[in-house]
Amino acid sequence: MPQDFDVMPGNKAVAHGVRLARTEVIPAFPITPQTTIIEYLSDFVADGKLDAEYIHTEGEHSCMAAALGASLVGARTFTATCSEGLAYMHEIVAQAVNYRAPIVMAVANRTLGWYWSLGPDYSDIMPEMNLGWLVNFVETNQECLDMALMNFKIAEDYRVLLPTMMSLDGFYLSYSQERVYLPEQEEVDDWLPAYKAPYPVDPTESKAWPTASIPSQMHTPMRKEYEKLLNGAKDVIKEVDKSYGETFGRSYGGLVEKYRCDDADSLMVTMGSMTTAARRAVDKLRKEGEKIGLLKLRYMRPFPNEELIELAEQVDSIGVVDRVLMHGTGGGMAFQDVKSYLYNTGIRVPVQGFVTGLGGEDIPIDDLYQMSKKVIGNKGKKLTEEVEFVSHAMPGMAPPVEIENDSCMYPGSDGCAGCGASIIVRTLLNTLGENTIVMNPPNCSGVNYGGVVRVPWVLANFAAAAAYETGAYRALKAKGKADKVYVTSYAGDGGTYDIGLQSISGAAERGESIIWLCYDNEAYMNTGIQRSGSTPEYAATSTTPVGSVWKGKPQRRKNMLMIMAAHRIPYIASASLAYIPDFKRKIQKAAEITRNGEGMAYLQVHQPCTTGWYFDPSKTVEIGRLAVQTGAYPIAEIDHGEFKLNIKPRELKPVKEYLEPQRRFRHVDEELLEIIQGHITEDWESYLKLDEQGKLPWY
Amino acid sequence: MVQDKSKITAFGLNDISVKGGKYVANWRVYKPIIDKEGCVGCGLCISYCPEEAITKDDDGKAEIDYRFCKGCGICANECPQKAIEMKKEDEA
Repeated sequence: MPQDFDVMPGNKAVAHGVRLARTEVIPAFPITPQTTIIEYLSDFVADGKLDAEYIHTEGEHSCMAAALGASLVGARTFTATCSEGLAYMHEIVAQAVNYRAPIVMAVANRTLGWYWSLGPDYSDIMPEMNLGWLVNFVETNQECLDMALMNFKIAEDYRVLLPTMMSLDGFYLSYSQERVYLPEQEEVDDWLPAYKAPYPVDPTESKAWPTASIPSQMHTPMRKEYEKLLNGAKDVIKEVDKSYGETFGRSYGGLVEKYRCDDADSLMVTMGSMTTAARRAVDKLRKEGEKIGLLKLRYMRPFPNEELIELAEQVDSIGVVDRVLMHGTGGGMAFQDVKSYLYNTGIRVPVQGFVTGLGGEDIPIDDLYQMSKKVIGNKGKKLTEEVEFVSHAMPGMAPPVEIENDSCMYPGSDGCAGCGASIIVRTLLNTLGENTIVMNPPNCSGVNYGGVVRVPWVLANFAAAAAYETGAYRALKAKGKADKVYVTSYAGDGGTYDIGLQSISGAAERGESIIWLCYDNEAYMNTGIQRSGSTPEYAATSTTPVGSVWKGKPQRRKNMLMIMAAHRIPYIASASLAYIPDFKRKIQKAAEITRNGEGMAYLQVHQPCTTGWYFDPSKTVEIGRLAVQTGAYPIAEIDHGEFKLNIKPRELKPVKEYLEPQRRFRHVDEELLEIIQGHITEDWESYLKLDEQGKLPWY
Repeated sequence: MVQDKSKITAFGLNDISVKGGKYVANWRVYKPIIDKEGCVGCGLCISYCPEEAITKDDDGKAEIDYRFCKGCGICANECPQKAIEMKKEDEA
C-alpha cells in the first residue's frame, strides 16, 4: 500500500516518530530551536492522539532527571533539548549510561554559548560525545522520523540498552519543511513492540536495579565493557536499519551512508544536513570527470571506523568537514576521529580538515565544491595546513540612529510593538540611574533591549542569574563600591519562578544586597509562549494547548511573593506597568534597601504580553490595569515583614472583564470561569486578611 | 609589568558608548497624531510609550519622534484627553 506523505518541518517529523512509538513519558522544557518538538507532542497529548505522561519541568536539569527516573522505572521515554539546555543536563546525561536507560533524546543542534547563537553547530553535542551514549546525526526530515523509531528499537535492544542522542541541525532541519512519509500505526506497533525493562526500579516486578556505585577496581573493567557494548551496538544498528527497510521501504546503510564511492579516488566526509549540499558538490565534480565520493557519518558514537578504513584504503585523499572546533586540538571532531583511526592502520593518506558553518552559518554547495577541489588536489601531497577555516564576510547592518537624550536607554528597539517589558525596563533603568549593572538571564528583553541600553547589561546563564548578581555584588563590596553601584536582574517569570528559583533562593537566604526584578508575562515568551510556574490556570500556551483532553494549564500559579517572604528578605513587592508611580516608588525603595546593605529586594512586575496573550498591542496598559482591578494580579508589598495591599479597589471587577480580551482564555466557558473567579476571590480575601494583620508573624 | 590593552583580541566587547537609537518607523501601520490643542501635557503617554519615542516640546506638550515609533497605539489608548488619534500611515 502506498504510504501517505505530508510536508512538515524536522521537529514535527521527530514528534510524529515519538507519537508512533507510543512513547509513555515525555519530560519537556523549551529551548530554541528544539521547542516545537515538545509543542507538537503537547498538541498530540492534549488532543488524545498520544497517551503519554507529559511533564512540564522547570529546567533542563530536571527535565533529563525526570527522563532518567521514568526510564529507570521502565517507561519508553523521550525528551529533547539543545545547546545551553543540553549543557545544563550534562551530569544526568552521564548518569543515564550507567543506569542503562534507553532514553531517546533529540538534540536540535544549536551553538553552545561561548558566543551565543541560535543557529546550529555541534559545539552543544561535543561535550556529550564521549559519555557512552549512541550519537546519531540525521540529514533530512524523513530521516528524523525514521531515526526516532529506529533509535528506540536500537536503544531498547538488550544487547545495547544505552541512551541515544539524535542530532538534527537546528533551523536547517528543525524548522525547514520537507516531504515526510508517515508509516501506519499498526505497522509501527508490529515492528516496535512496547519496551520491557529487564530490571525496572519497581518492587512489584524486580528485586534488582541498576547501580551507580562500584569499587574503583571495577571501573576500568566496566568501562571496557561499555566500550564493548558500544562496539556491539554496531551490529544492532545495521540489523535494525535493514529490518526497517524491509518493513517500511527506507534504509540508510547503517552507521554510514556511502555516496558515489564505488570507484572514488578521493573522499569527502560529512555529517548532518550539510551532506545534502555535499552531494550536489560531488555530483558537479563527477560531471567534470573527478572520481570523488562522499561518506556521511550517520553515527559518531559508536564511530564507524571499519567503514572508514575500508574506504581510506581505496582513496588517495580525504577531506573532513566539521561544523565544530575542538579548541586546543586545532581541528574539528570528525577530523580528529578520522585521523586517529587511520594512524595505526599504516594507511598514509592526506586528511584535510575543514572547520566551517559555526554559529549556524550556511555551508553552501559552492564552498563544499571548493573544499572538494582542494581535497582532490591534495593527492600525493604532504599537507602544510591540515585544517582550513572557511567563513564569509558579514553583511552590512543598518547603523544606529544618533540621538541626544539623557535616558538610560536609547529609543526604539527590536521588541514587539506595544511591548510591556519595554515600559518596565525603561522605568527600572531610568529610576536606578547609570550606575547599574543588569544581570540578564535569557529572555526576550535580552534579545530586544540588551542592544539599546546605556548601562552594562550582562547575559547570564538561565539558572544562575542571581549567582551572577551575587558575584558582582561581592566584588563591588570588595572594591568598597557596594553602595555606589546597583546590581539588578532583568528576569522573566521562567527565570524567576522556574529555572532560576534555586539561585534566587540561595542569594535571598545569604542576604545578598541585590535587586531581583521579574517582569512577569506569565509564560516563556522568548521561546514562543510555553507555560511557566507563573502561568495562570486555564491559560492556553504552546505547551498547554486546548484540545479534546486538555483545557489549557490545569494548575494554579505559584505565589512567588510568599516564597520570597519565607526567606524573610527586607523588601518584596509586586507592581504593574499600568501603575507607574507605584512601580517607581518600589524601585526607589529597593534601591535604598540594597544601597544600605540590608539584603535582597524582590520586585515582580506584571506585564501583559500582546504577542503571547493575543490582544491588540494598544491594550497593553489597559489589560494590565484590568488585572489589578479584577484582583487577578494583586499589587502588594512586604516591607521588613509589614504586608500592605497597595491598590485596593472598593469593589473588584468580575475577572471576566480581564479574561475576555485575551485570546489565551477564549476557550474559558462558564464552568471554568467560575473556578477561576473562585480562586481569585479566595486569594484576594487572603490578601485582605494579611493586609489587615500587617506584620507577617515569622519576620 | 604593564599590560597592553591593545594586545587583547577576540574580546567581543559590548561598548555602550557607541550605540544609538533603533530606527523602527517602517514597522508602522497606524500613526499616532497628537492634537496639540487637546494635549494638556500630563505626560502619561511618555511613561507608557514602550519605545521612549515621546518627549515634551517647548510648550510642555507631547511630541513624537516618529523614527522610533512602531505605531502600537498605547499612547492613543491611554490619553485621558483623547488627544491622540491613530491614523492609517498612508492617510496620516
